Amino acid sequence: MKILHSELLIASHFRQSVFKNTALYIITFFIGILLLYATFSGWENYKNQNETSEKYQHESREDWLKNPDKNPHRMAHYGNFAFRKSTPLSVFEFGMEPFFGNAIFLEAHKQNTANFSEAGFSNSMLRFGEISIAMVLQVLLPLLIFFLGFNAIAYERENGTLKILLTQGINWKQLLIGKILGIASVIMMLFVPTIIVLVLVWLFFQDFTVTADEAIKMILFILFHLAYLLFFCVIAVLISAVSKTSKKALITLIGIWLLFTIILPRTTQAIGAYIYEAPSKIQFNSDIEKDILKQGDSHNPNDPHYKTIKDSLLRAYKVDSVQKLPFNYSGYIMTEGEKISSRIYNEHLEELLNVYKQQNSFSKTVSFLNPFIAIKNLSMGLSNTDYESYVDFQKQAEDYRYKMAQKMNALQIKYISNKKPGPNDKPLTIGKEHWADVEEFHYEAKTIGTILKNEAVSIISIILWIAALIILIQIASKKLKAI
Amino acid sequence: MLALLFKNFIRSKGTKIGLLFLLCIGFISLLVGKQFQDKQQNNIKEASIYQKEHIARNAAFHKDEIGLLLYYIKFSLVNNTLPINSLAIGQRDVNPSIQSVTIRGLEGQKYDSELNNPNNLLAGNIDFGFVLIYLFPLLIIAFSYNLISEEKESGTWKIVATQSQNTFLFILKLFYVRILSLIALLTFLLFAAVLFLHIPLDSAFFIFYGLGVLYILFWFAVSFFIVSLQKNSNFNAVILLTIWLFLIIIVPAGINAYIVNQYQVPEALELTLKQRNAYHEKWDTDKNETMEKFYKHYPQFKGYKIPEDKEFSWLWYYAMQQMGDDESAILSRELETKLQQRNLASQRIAQFIPTLHTQLQLNEIAHADLGNQLLFLKETTKFHEKLRLHFYPKIFDNAAVDQQNWKDFKVETFRDSSEISFGKAFLPLLLFILLLIGFGWRNFNTKAVF
Repeated sequence: MKILHSELLIASHFRQSVFKNTALYIITFFIGILLLYATFSGWENYKNQNETSEKYQHESREDWLKNPDKNPHRMAHYGNFAFRKSTPLSVFEFGMEPFFGNAIFLEAHKQNTANFSEAGFSNSMLRFGEISIAMVLQVLLPLLIFFLGFNAIAYERENGTLKILLTQGINWKQLLIGKILGIASVIMMLFVPTIIVLVLVWLFFQDFTVTADEAIKMILFILFHLAYLLFFCVIAVLISAVSKTSKKALITLIGIWLLFTIILPRTTQAIGAYIYEAPSKIQFNSDIEKDILKQGDSHNPNDPHYKTIKDSLLRAYKVDSVQKLPFNYSGYIMTEGEKISSRIYNEHLEELLNVYKQQNSFSKTVSFLNPFIAIKNLSMGLSNTDYESYVDFQKQAEDYRYKMAQKMNALQIKYISNKKPGPNDKPLTIGKEHWADVEEFHYEAKTIGTILKNEAVSIISIILWIAALIILIQIASKKLKAI
Repeated sequence: MLALLFKNFIRSKGTKIGLLFLLCIGFISLLVGKQFQDKQQNNIKEASIYQKEHIARNAAFHKDEIGLLLYYIKFSLVNNTLPINSLAIGQRDVNPSIQSVTIRGLEGQKYDSELNNPNNLLAGNIDFGFVLIYLFPLLIIAFSYNLISEEKESGTWKIVATQSQNTFLFILKLFYVRILSLIALLTFLLFAAVLFLHIPLDSAFFIFYGLGVLYILFWFAVSFFIVSLQKNSNFNAVILLTIWLFLIIIVPAGINAYIVNQYQVPEALELTLKQRNAYHEKWDTDKNETMEKFYKHYPQFKGYKIPEDKEFSWLWYYAMQQMGDDESAILSRELETKLQQRNLASQRIAQFIPTLHTQLQLNEIAHADLGNQLLFLKETTKFHEKLRLHFYPKIFDNAAVDQQNWKDFKVETFRDSSEISFGKAFLPLLLFILLLIGFGWRNFNTKAVF
């Protein structure tokens, strides 16, 4: 370890000077409290979210099974619910969770919205942000690093000690790396205990049985955050090295921090939303309705599309009225209607999601310039609280809805007599044992493979940042001057 | 003297860049507001055209059965958007400003959400409220963190101190110049907003403006207090930014977490399950029982009886739908109370956090807060009830569809009439300003400025 000897010496010297500063203890204390609070409230959120979601998912399933003998179409309207569940990592990264609707009512003919988001039940306080472990790691620690590091070299320059150091046989590279290690070692004193607590908490609420998938997500979460924090150590030292005075270094670093964490994320997203305007719900729904009417209205007896179906059925079965068909005709028509309306809905949804994707593309691209956006997207992906997760949840719910509706239609076609009951007759029903044929809705979070594919841009951006900073250290070591 | 101080301030490159940046982003916020306004207006237009076509089309198909027709048709209620809403979008991007309901059970329709890109919601809008609450303070900090300290560090302070008779007055003048320029910027931006977004110059606007001025003064008071401690520039910068961070992110987020955990709303999910079961189980229970309950709710419809000779009748159907609402009414009220408590609690706590207070007040003025949303939901219930009472007898009589005046059913608008009081809006901020200036003044007095 002879090679790193001077670097380590510089690092430990830096660390000692930091510990002389009483302000550091106060800040560390506050951040410690915040971390505890964040863990606590994250845990509370997670527990509540999953307990309620499980409770009502289960309850609604019981209700579904308890239904007596019925016409299957009644059951299709009785419907089911999809409740969203959180993944363990969302204890540490809330992401967009507060803006997600938590329940979707799934019924025949109709795609309902995901309702009851936390944001809908909140006044604008929520819009200031939330305290989570991820927020502390991604927003507060970088600022702390800057506060610790702005002096690193600029102060030595102001004092004149920089010249002494450099004349004593230490080169710029050693000095830069030594200072970076110094800041990093101070930050690690916060980061390492946090991670240990985090892992323990995470293991604890999963009863110490962790799937490989969850474990990989956790490891990546830790590693990427570690790399992210090191970026800021390097940036702090580099800026401190090129600044004439420590004040200039501080102001520049604060500017960078504001740009990265406050200004860029909001502006880039706003630009995307401004340029690619998304339709409102009323427009979206009326467009779908228009398209469905174009295809044919199953409620209109003279509709050409449905008339063709009817005529071809009558021809194929060689009968003169739909009542004489060997299966339930209206069930058949509803199957067709559901197929058409779902297809049209999905086409429009795809279009809408494309607009959203375009809106998001701006901030996604800017992640190359801004490591904060890269790490934010990545950690939201890993904790299943990102945009893709939400779309995924809605798609799984819609998939389930379609299958449920078509299952009920199939039951109707098969078991319900084609003869309409008279006004006085009891309605036609099938046995309740069929209700169990529809499986319970079960939401599957994305696996690590999908997440890495979705977040390829963020990962590339982080790798590029590592490369760029290493190159910058090299360049700086050659070009920096003592004065 | 003042003129010279002003020249000195405005000539600095940092000042120019700062002011220009704020001006630009201020204009961007107005563009964002304009787009929001256009979209809202467009939606309302769209909604009324849609409603007209939608009713006409369905009335043509289902011309024999008014009960079936009303199963399908939706009526819209608009939550009026004030022009000033474009300056503070608040929760209007999360919550829908138009509710479209059929006369069937309301509880299943009332909470339908708006279509949204959650990424936009998470990032937040760049509305004028954001520029005022987040960015103005940053510029204020940048303009004032190094007052005195910088002169001391460069050694010019002693010259200043010996040349002016009253150093405290001199410091006040330094602040005066900066306050004036930022208030001028605020005034200019709001003036542009009035012209560009057609905002009426009513009391709501002046409270908005007053809040803006007081908010700026609050941050100058914070700076004044920190400067009065007479530490070095670096210390001032770090402390001021930390205060900003606390007031803008950490404290509001902490309070939000507290309120969410304190007033949890499991009622919401329970309510949806309840209303579904309450309606659907009536298909399989005794019809007369359902009808008795219905008559108890609406004694005026006792005269209508379900036909003996028919399995299905629309009277029975709508009575069943009614039961979905009636039997979940308690939960619905509980949910409403909880949300009201949330709103009240956050308003009460916000009085002690100037950033939060300003944000909530701006949204309240713009009718974009939770309170407005709750009123809108209440109004939706009234609107729905009115439609029910109008159509129930028509359905039970099986009135002729073409005899109805469908053209009368236009999109209706709800106007929130709640007013903001000057005292409630201004007092908390004024108090903080006076307190900070008082302490700062004491600091300057006890510690000679040398």
